[in-house]
Amino acid sequence: MATVTVAQVTKNYGAFTALHSIDLDIDDGEFVVFVGPSGSGKSTLLRCIAGLEQIASGMVRIAGQDVTTVDPADRGLSMVFQNYALFPHMSCRANLAFPLKTEGVEKSEVSRRVEEAGRLLSIESMLDRKPAELSGGQRQRVAIGRAIVKEPKVFLFDEPLSNLDAALRIKMRVEITKLHRQLQNTIIYVTHDQVEAMTMADRIVVLRDGQIEQVGTPHELYFHPANLFVATFIGAPQMNLLPCQSVASEVGKTTSIRVGQDTMATLPIPNVELTDGALTLGFRPEHVEFEKPLGDSVKLKLKTDVIENLGAVTNVHGQVLITATDEVDVTVSSHSQAVFEVDKSIPVWIAVENCHLFTADGTALPRDVEPPTWK
Amino acid sequence: MLKGKLTSLVLNFLILAVVFVMAFPIVWIVMNSFKEAADINAYPPVFRFDPTLENYKVLFDIADAEASSYGTLKVEFFKPVINSVIISAGAVLLSLIAGVPAGYALARYNFRAKEDLAFFILGFRFAPVLLVIIPMFQFFQAIGLYDSYFGMIWVYQLITLPMIIWLCRSYVEDIPVEIEEAAAICGAKRPQIMLQVVLPLLRPGLVGAALLVFLLAWHNFALGLILTAEKTPVTVALLKLLNPGISFYPVVSAGLVVSMIVPIALIILGQRHLERGLTFGALK
Ligand SMILES: Nc1ncnc2c1ncn2[C@@H]1O[C@H](COP(=O)(O)OP(=O)(O)OP(=O)(O)O)[C@@H](O)[C@H]1O
Ligand SMILES: [Mg+2]
Repeated sequence: MATVTVAQVTKNYGAFTALHSIDLDIDDGEFVVFVGPSGSGKSTLLRCIAGLEQIASGMVRIAGQDVTTVDPADRGLSMVFQNYALFPHMSCRANLAFPLKTEGVEKSEVSRRVEEAGRLLSIESMLDRKPAELSGGQRQRVAIGRAIVKEPKVFLFDEPLSNLDAALRIKMRVEITKLHRQLQNTIIYVTHDQVEAMTMADRIVVLRDGQIEQVGTPHELYFHPANLFVATFIGAPQMNLLPCQSVASEVGKTTSIRVGQDTMATLPIPNVELTDGALTLGFRPEHVEFEKPLGDSVKLKLKTDVIENLGAVTNVHGQVLITATDEVDVTVSSHSQAVFEVDKSIPVWIAVENCHLFTADGTALPRDVEPPTWK
Repeated sequence: MLKGKLTSLVLNFLILAVVFVMAFPIVWIVMNSFKEAADINAYPPVFRFDPTLENYKVLFDIADAEASSYGTLKVEFFKPVINSVIISAGAVLLSLIAGVPAGYALARYNFRAKEDLAFFILGFRFAPVLLVIIPMFQFFQAIGLYDSYFGMIWVYQLITLPMIIWLCRSYVEDIPVEIEEAAAICGAKRPQIMLQVVLPLLRPGLVGAALLVFLLAWHNFALGLILTAEKTPVTVALLKLLNPGISFYPVVSAGLVVSMIVPIALIILGQRHLERGLTFGALK
């Protein structure tokens, strides 16, 4: 099928640079998701790959072919737009047939493939209606159908589910995942919903301000975020951050830190520098424990403030006292059914293998840990 | 309850009053067109009379010269009606051919001084037609366009083209650009996108816009007055009916009724599109 290569692609809108020399390699059959905050350049990058935007410099290759100056029509891709972009004056059948007709596919073959796509997406009964006569979810299926009839080399999705309600979104998410397994196409999918990103992607590309912050599997982004931005962007509620000091220790497989006055811990993070320095300690809300773990841990005192009981999870928002005057907001999540009360001071622990360290410029120190695997 | 009834009574009365004010001149003209010359100036005005078709016969020169109470007179009103149809329809057609691409470009492309250009085009709508007529007259005589269909269709662009461009621009802006992009990704090239996606989506709006500017063109008077002699539009021909010094009002009335038929027929046929053309674009 098809690989996609983006090499040093820069995109300008007037004086504004929307993409700064992006490099990215996408494998054949891979499901890649672009995430990032609004305005980070996700859509722009996707549109550059589609050929809908002219790039200032760099190169786009699809299936090994340089398509940088090739018309979108000839790049062999399909795209699903956020607002569906169906042709309102055509029936759904004509919408599905459109990409085949432009390729000059024979009539009987067109109707066979349209029927097949209709069956695959369970929209056969609606094929003769106009898009305006369909619900949002049905329109989205037609839009996906129009993308798959062409049997494209690469599929592009730009926030295809963001106009659907929560329940339908989950359903369509599963369907797109299944569709990918069935068709084995290369898929590039833009979303700002990190749950979509984590659940669907083989690899995630995190973008910020037109630059790639990190590329990795969902697992890598979660366990080994490359920097503060990725660490706080992936995961909800987001990772807690506390200022800490590295204290002189030997160069080796560990780093010792001090949080506030009296909390000391040695983390399994290979140290690069020996000097005392300001670092940031990061830990995820779901990794906070309420009983002392067996191994080494960081102990903190949490003053509870707001309790959100979601049933399966309880989120406790509160403050950790670093020094006598310095408080830092912290959120912890408990998957037990424990009951919490507000305005209590409770001890909490974070196992050292669940800690992250970031240098002053936000870069993560590589961690020497892997989660256990069950086979 | 009572208050509600009273309000609706008052409102209905107001509507009737408006209809009366607006419709009265038309009804009066239609009535006059079926009267004999003697009834026209009757005081008090007569509302019951023996309708006659004579005025229409005179208008189209099918009355026997002897039988006509106006003596021998050549009016030939059929010709200006045809002239007006040719000029107005031709002007609308030319405006569509030139204006749709222009409106599309103004909506979709960015270029230097775009808004200035757009406003300059609209400016022609505000400029008094008389401003251009005198130079036009000399110019047209010099290059032989005076009293020609082509010349008339050309100057009528002053009236029709700016409207078409502006309306078309707003209709194109109403079409999400993603629809065109989707077509491009589906493998369609520019001409195909225009013919199979953009134009069908513009069609309802364009039909309304075309109708609207046809009416504007139909009612124009000054351009035909100065720039034609034989190929006069119906508006100018009506004025000429008033010239002969005799009381010619019944025939003028008949002429007015005839000149109203084309626009009224178009409005009835295209009412649906006219509303759309005025209020919104092709989508939503
Ligand atoms: N046509 C344009 N002209 C000028 N600037 C643009 C244009 N399109 C996008 N931009 C700018 O480029 C940047 C990236 O935009 P882009 O649409 O790629 O963001 P995004 O990551 O898709 O955001 P969102 O999640 O809101 O869709 C933004 O700062 C945006 O303002
Ligand atoms: Mg976007």
